[in-house]
Amino acid sequence: MKKWWTVFMGVLLVAVLAACTASESAGESDEGSSEGESDSGTKTLLLNNGEEPTSFDPSQGFDAVSWNALNNLMEGLTRLGKDHTPEPATAEKWEISEDGKEYTFFIREDAKWSNGDDVTAGDYEFAWKRLLDPETASPAAFLGYFIEGGEAFNNGEGSADDVMVEAVSDKELKVTLSAPTGYFLNIISNPAFFPINESVATENPEWFAEADSFVGNGPFALAEWKHDSEMLMKKNEEYWDHETVKLDEVHWAMVNDTNTEYQMYESGELDTSNIPSDMAEQLLDSEEVSIQDQAGTAFYRFNVNEEPFQNKKIRKALAMSVNQQEIVDYVTKNKEEPAYGFVSYGFESPSGEDFREHNGKLVEPNVEEAKQLLEEGMEEEGYDELPAITLSYNTSEDNKKIAETIQQMFKENLGVEVTLENAEWNVFLEAQKALEHQLSRSSFLADYADPINFLESFTTDSSMNRTGWSNEEYDQLIADAKNEADEEKRWELMYEAEKLLFEEMPIFPVHFYNQVVLEKDNVSDIVRHPVGYLELKWADKQ
Amino acid sequence: MAKYILKRFIYMIVTVFIIATLTFFLMNLLPGSPFNEERTTNEAVQRNLEAHYHLDEPLVVQYVLYLKSIVTLDFGPSIKQPTETVNSLLGRGFPISAELGIWTILIALISGVALGVFAALKHNGVIDYIAMTIAVLGISIPNFVLATLLIQQLAVNLGVLPAATWSSPQHMVLPIVALATGPMAIIARLTRSSMLETLTQDYIKMARAKGLSPAKIIVKHALKNALMPVVTILGTLLAGVLTGTFVIEKIFAIPGMGKYFVEGINQRDYPVIMGTTVFYSAFLVLMLFLVDIAYGILDPRIKLHKEGGK
Repeated sequence: MKKWWTVFMGVLLVAVLAACTASESAGESDEGSSEGESDSGTKTLLLNNGEEPTSFDPSQGFDAVSWNALNNLMEGLTRLGKDHTPEPATAEKWEISEDGKEYTFFIREDAKWSNGDDVTAGDYEFAWKRLLDPETASPAAFLGYFIEGGEAFNNGEGSADDVMVEAVSDKELKVTLSAPTGYFLNIISNPAFFPINESVATENPEWFAEADSFVGNGPFALAEWKHDSEMLMKKNEEYWDHETVKLDEVHWAMVNDTNTEYQMYESGELDTSNIPSDMAEQLLDSEEVSIQDQAGTAFYRFNVNEEPFQNKKIRKALAMSVNQQEIVDYVTKNKEEPAYGFVSYGFESPSGEDFREHNGKLVEPNVEEAKQLLEEGMEEEGYDELPAITLSYNTSEDNKKIAETIQQMFKENLGVEVTLENAEWNVFLEAQKALEHQLSRSSFLADYADPINFLESFTTDSSMNRTGWSNEEYDQLIADAKNEADEEKRWELMYEAEKLLFEEMPIFPVHFYNQVVLEKDNVSDIVRHPVGYLELKWADKQ
Repeated sequence: MAKYILKRFIYMIVTVFIIATLTFFLMNLLPGSPFNEERTTNEAVQRNLEAHYHLDEPLVVQYVLYLKSIVTLDFGPSIKQPTETVNSLLGRGFPISAELGIWTILIALISGVALGVFAALKHNGVIDYIAMTIAVLGISIPNFVLATLLIQQLAVNLGVLPAATWSSPQHMVLPIVALATGPMAIIARLTRSSMLETLTQDYIKMARAKGLSPAKIIVKHALKNALMPVVTILGTLLAGVLTGTFVIEKIFAIPGMGKYFVEGINQRDYPVIMGTTVFYSAFLVLMLFLVDIAYGILDPRIKLHKEGGK
């Protein structure tokens, strides 16, 4: 018996010891190398990308996990500056025709690919036509519809030759738009419009799949890419503006759990981190928090085809009984701006006014008026009692909290009872698109930086409408705004459209989105745009 | 024996085929599509995407294409990660999950059996109570809670081990401990109860009476029979742990294949759903098959019974 014990304990002991020595030696070598790095003065920024990038093919990875990284590996004709407005990048300068439809870009002489090739106008023509090619099946293709002939090529009615983008010479690119688009320079800073090195792509169509074959033209070059686990970017010495770039390296982990991410940030394995929601309250006031706007709105949609929401007054009554300020203060607790309109802050008119400031609060909590409107609405419809209302949301803790609060607000302020119903994301979305909900949770994030992107969501034929609401006057205002070359007039049309939207109230807003991150004190100048992707060009680490 | 194995092998193929077919049709019954987005979607763009992945073909055609992909073992590109094929995703994720899984099983098995045996030998003694307390804790504390606790204490507060990712042996310690605790507890309880039962058997009394040393009695006579229930659960346990665990892999940011099971479904990434399901079910069926063979080796009575049954 004793012998048996000893043998077993011995085996266990050896196993434990072996495990310990293995990890100790590994720990030493690991620490040794990282210390060596800081000694030699290599500035390595430690970031977390959350997960594996969908794709570094500029036409494919239409999401933040791909484009936050790609935005620093490549560069378009323009790049968004620290003030979030487009500035010259690969294009040194440009000319715009009188009617605002024809753009001529002049590409820098010293714009190079990371393999030393010149960046040419032909690389842009190649990339943009590829984006629009139906064979490419790019989810971002619609961004190219601003170009004359782009939509026709993508939906199969036209051909590549009809797309009005042309390399006049190696360094001169001419683009004709289908309508004057004041924010075109902003749109082309988007990764979908990055150039592709044509000779590289012809030789190896999968050039974007591995670090070895990746050829970019941005501030950083892709040095290592261990799929699903990490990436390493090194400063790109071929980049035309490499003197501005201060970091030597950027290391990207792929940690998809906010709690773990935060723990790694705490233990020094990351320089920035998101905030775990249950720790928001204690962390939000810390000095390491950075809060930036994000162009987007959390809102609810009424389905105007379903009783009782065919009635405008009933829609308004419910909208006015919701207190947005209370929701952001006590429920979401993430320092969001409460939303009293649909277009978020940060869009400046030609006269320098903020869109949101100018159009003001288009819906405000007002219990008395809400009660009054509900009564009138019910009378108009001949209701003695309001038909049953179901409020739907896609399953998530945060959505649930907001939904329950709104349910409570309806009950307290108007005495209206609603039932809550939740569903898995894809199921929910399918039902919302099929107009099967009565009242449902929604969110909007801008694809490009102009108020029209918000407002075009509610035209009759928009796939984003999902309310059943259709208004000819509104459709006309949006169409006019899209064709208006005079910026002042265009903004007037957009102001008017948003007012009309809230006059009719097929939706009610809850809050605007923001980007809240923790960032170590020794890190500076990481730029996060309200619309756009992470910029590390100016970032520094002490 | 050969005939039996062949027959079992054919059953295996049929089982996998049925699972694959059921999955395909259930998957297509799910509302939604891989291209369902909250953002504004453009009709032409959607159409191009569907054509690209053959989702515009009739269901029967898709099914045939899919059966072809199983037979040729080529599941095609993932829809959500279009530059990768499902094969490359699994090929990359499985070795990592398997590495984590093998260590987990080894540690769970060694410590679980040890705990169970000690507890049985010292039945109702202090060691028994300690061992069973550990086992009850191990079963009742979910591994994601344990994982977070371990990270908080050992990585953040003490700083002796890294919080996450998968790059060196020291990165493996916390996930393995977190993952092994549950199976260890199950194995410990199973071993204890079957050991207790075995120890009261006549042949053990007989061995004692013959004056064999206690160590020999336990290792050679008792343990071999007492381990039968452990072998039974080992098949499912192996298949489950080796093919990755979503939660632990997510918490420790381990690039295994666990996440593809869950995310594939959430994102309606059809090729990934099919690839992971076929892979998992084939693996599970194979493990069960191996366990059955192991029975035969461990316990001659079972082999006799089965052969006699045919």
